Amino acid sequence: MPLRTLIFRALACVALAFAALPGPARAQDALQPALQAFAEELASPSRRTIESVVTALIEGGQPNIGEFLRRYSAREVVQRPEDGLFFYAEDAGDLVRLIDIDSGATVAEVSSRDVTQIRTNSGVQRVIAAALVPLELNAPERVRRAAALDAISRSPDASQIAPLQDSIAREEDATLATRKERLLLLLQAQFSEDRAVQLAAIEALGGDISIEARGVLARLTATQTEVAPTLPEGANIARVLEVGTDLTEAEAYDQLVAAGLAEPAQTPAMLREVLAQNIVDGRVGGVPIGRLSDPAARIEAYEALEAAGTVPPRAAPDEAAQAVAAHVFYESYVLDDPEITAAAQAALDSTSQAIAAYQVADLVLDGLSLASIFFLAAIGLAITFGVMGVINMAHGEFIMMGAYTGYVVQLFIPDYTISLLVALPLAFLVTFGAGVAMERSVIRHLYTRPLETLLATFGISIALQQLAKNIFGTQARPLTAPDWLGGAITFNDIVGISTIRVAIFVLALIFLGLLLYILKRTRLGLEVRAVTQNPGMAASMGINPDRINMLTFGLGSGIAGIAGVAIGLYAQVTSEMGSNYIVQSFMTVVVGGVGNVWGTLAGASLIGFLQKGIEWFNPSNTLAAQTYMVLFVILFIQFRPKGIVALKGRAAGD
Amino acid sequence: MAKVTLAPRKGFLSENPSVLRFLGLLTVFTLIVTALSEGFGAGIVSTSFLKVLGMTLCLCLIAVAMDVVWGYCGILSLGHFAFFGLGGYGIGMWLMYARTEGIVRESLANAPIPATEGEVRDAIATQIFSVVGSTELPFIWGFAHSLTLQLLMIVLVPGLLALVFGWLAFRSRVTGVYLSILTQAMTLALSLYLFQNDTGLRGNNGLSGLQNIPGLLHLPQSTIALWFFWASALALGLGYLLFAWLVSGKFGSVVRAIRDNESRVRFLGYHVESYKLVVFTVTAIVSAIAGALYYPQAGIINPAEIAPITSIYLAVWVAIGGRGRLYGAVIGAATVSLLSSWFTGGGAPNIDLGFYEIVWTDWWLVLLGLGFVAVTLFFPKGIGGLFDYLVRKP
Repeated sequence: MPLRTLIFRALACVALAFAALPGPARAQDALQPALQAFAEELASPSRRTIESVVTALIEGGQPNIGEFLRRYSAREVVQRPEDGLFFYAEDAGDLVRLIDIDSGATVAEVSSRDVTQIRTNSGVQRVIAAALVPLELNAPERVRRAAALDAISRSPDASQIAPLQDSIAREEDATLATRKERLLLLLQAQFSEDRAVQLAAIEALGGDISIEARGVLARLTATQTEVAPTLPEGANIARVLEVGTDLTEAEAYDQLVAAGLAEPAQTPAMLREVLAQNIVDGRVGGVPIGRLSDPAARIEAYEALEAAGTVPPRAAPDEAAQAVAAHVFYESYVLDDPEITAAAQAALDSTSQAIAAYQVADLVLDGLSLASIFFLAAIGLAITFGVMGVINMAHGEFIMMGAYTGYVVQLFIPDYTISLLVALPLAFLVTFGAGVAMERSVIRHLYTRPLETLLATFGISIALQQLAKNIFGTQARPLTAPDWLGGAITFNDIVGISTIRVAIFVLALIFLGLLLYILKRTRLGLEVRAVTQNPGMAASMGINPDRINMLTFGLGSGIAGIAGVAIGLYAQVTSEMGSNYIVQSFMTVVVGGVGNVWGTLAGASLIGFLQKGIEWFNPSNTLAAQTYMVLFVILFIQFRPKGIVALKGRAAGD
Repeated sequence: MAKVTLAPRKGFLSENPSVLRFLGLLTVFTLIVTALSEGFGAGIVSTSFLKVLGMTLCLCLIAVAMDVVWGYCGILSLGHFAFFGLGGYGIGMWLMYARTEGIVRESLANAPIPATEGEVRDAIATQIFSVVGSTELPFIWGFAHSLTLQLLMIVLVPGLLALVFGWLAFRSRVTGVYLSILTQAMTLALSLYLFQNDTGLRGNNGLSGLQNIPGLLHLPQSTIALWFFWASALALGLGYLLFAWLVSGKFGSVVRAIRDNESRVRFLGYHVESYKLVVFTVTAIVSAIAGALYYPQAGIINPAEIAPITSIYLAVWVAIGGRGRLYGAVIGAATVSLLSSWFTGGGAPNIDLGFYEIVWTDWWLVLLGLGFVAVTLFFPKGIGGLFDYLVRKP
């Protein structure tokens, strides 16, 4: 066996030598002899040995080496034991069809026991994949080229720059060409040998907000915290840290200890430990144990032990401070080249400006979406509370009713799009009916006692909530959005919004328009406004206030039902979902200014943007954001008790 | 009800016989319950029921306070349970600290070297705050080691909060519904604040184990429950007396006038805001005291107790009992909360309708809600209004 290997190797070397020659000789070169030169390594591949083999094979330059390596990696290559030749294998029923590697012709069909399948493990597959990248970059299929680019961004290294650069000119697909160029920039910024190229690439990355670009720049500007007696010459220093402002004295001392420049300070726990080890006849260093609950007595005991030579001397109180003062703390770049790090830092700065701009844009989108949810939840209330002056604590339960209507409709109509189209008007009808029933039976009798409507509707609210619990159970019910509302609209790595929220925003806009139209342009709206301003006068003009009140209340409740469907699509449908919105809705209406649709819009916008704005400072804590938002509302009402849009003149009512 | 007497005033109690009657009834009730209790007498009233009765008395106290602020002064506050909760947190902090201190000292007693005060404090902090991932004692626990200081905090913290909030709200003339919504917002803000883990009151977990009174651990719960029952009854009696006295004199007349027509009182030269502020603050403090007595009997307090809905329930009790009469508030709170625990505790027999069985634990809230609507619609004077039919006024 070794002899045969040697001979083949010699032959292969000759073949390779020929392969290096330009011209037709190279094209005719067959792969099989080159493979035979490494038969042993190829037959039982291991991660350590395969790399040199693959490199040598690729340098050989046979045109079909790429395909071979790919199929080899995919375990489609077998070796025939009799002559050691490699073949591609294809399944042919019970048999294995052997295909010649160079000609592609079927050689034979044999039993799978007659050939040795070569099993490449995942380590080997990785090595081959990396080695194949330059070849794959120019592959005819677009998918393979894209996969090669993926492979590069997963594990970038310097050797990929040249093939990537070559392949850009030959790239036909515009999208891939752009990707290649970006990837080239990323590679050049990290690995280019040519400083000018590297600096240019780094500069070009400035303002690129993709995570990859930021990652590369962050790697280039990575720093380490160091400590030294004096600032070292020639080090690439990012900044000097001031003890007291940039790091506390305790942290500084910990760093000194970590750098071996100081002894660890004695903690109270260590002191106690040492004292406990030196108890003699109920005393430590002459101090009775009973007194050792006093920290001063503990030090006294330790000093006594120290004087007796039992324990090492204790650090003087200001020793730590002195040690810290005698050293300088600084952050230095991991990379030594100041020009590169400065360029990368500059690029990173311009990136952070771009990021800040995009984050503001994202925040605006978030705020807009939250505002439209608040608006939807509150707009029905703006009618019943704002226009009629009725405090409907059951408003939240109307929202819940709408959401459950949507859920029930989905039980009967499996197609989500159609069921949504059915659910929206049905929810309106159900809650319109409930609102009218409630107005007729309860609220009508309480128009002169507004505070008592609050209590009566609260009674209805708890009854409805419990009823929903009895009917639908306590667990959350799904209200599934159709697929076309399922995704998200993403502008780049930072700015994005889910489609459902856009839909809610659109719905809020529609309702704003619809309501303004009803109130300002229709007969009903005219009568509503008349009854609101002066019921007696309206009645004497031939308007029936009872009917108008009923319809207005129904309208407000119906809109709550539709809001319920919308809210149910992105939040969970539970019997308690209404109570989550009721207080916020009231605040929205009050902050915006009672009796005015525009006011509700203003209130919802203010509260929505404010909450998102506060969340931005402390993203992990939405509860805190809500707390501060409510506090703000309380203070706001102090200064503008009538809300943002205060009604004036006769419309003000009082 | 309004009495403006120009004649020389007689004694307060002789002028208000209903106060004496109430105090008498309360004393009789306390004595009967004591005689029947496990800790002292026959054992017919179990310890857990005794605790329910004690807690009900505390709820009656806050209902009386609510009645003064709403029924007499016309401020529908939806925030008084926030003060109740603050009082509970106040006493809870001491209970939890002192009990943990006992446990910590016991476990450190076996150490070879006695612990310093700092070490004890650190160990207590670790014990209490490990559930929220912290080992530091927040600064608001600075007084928790001392019962006296903490008792002072129970009065001061809610009092100051009510003072500042009331001053802001009344000064800008927020009235009626808007004021209700504002107080509700305050409650919401407070409960959201307490729900956070990093605000130093154990967030969602709340304070627990409050039924174990440090220093009295050797006594059985039946005895402690009885003591708390007595304390609650005493607090209710004193609170009732205080408010009855407050609303009977000239101060009470002004307060009722504010309820009926605020502008007119202002035009008469009274400083309306000060009157409102005094009522709001005093009732807040009494609510906090009621809370401080309630939660050691309940054993646990968490931010959900302060959620806006509990304050609305308080208004419901007062409305059902009858506004504008102190005993009405007591009747309302006692009736609704006792009925509530009877129904939800499974005490009420289920009704089998043949096709459907009414399980009261599920249907009680529906009944309560509808019953409440009925009371608002048909009996605006509440249960207390029934007394007007019994007692013919000369």
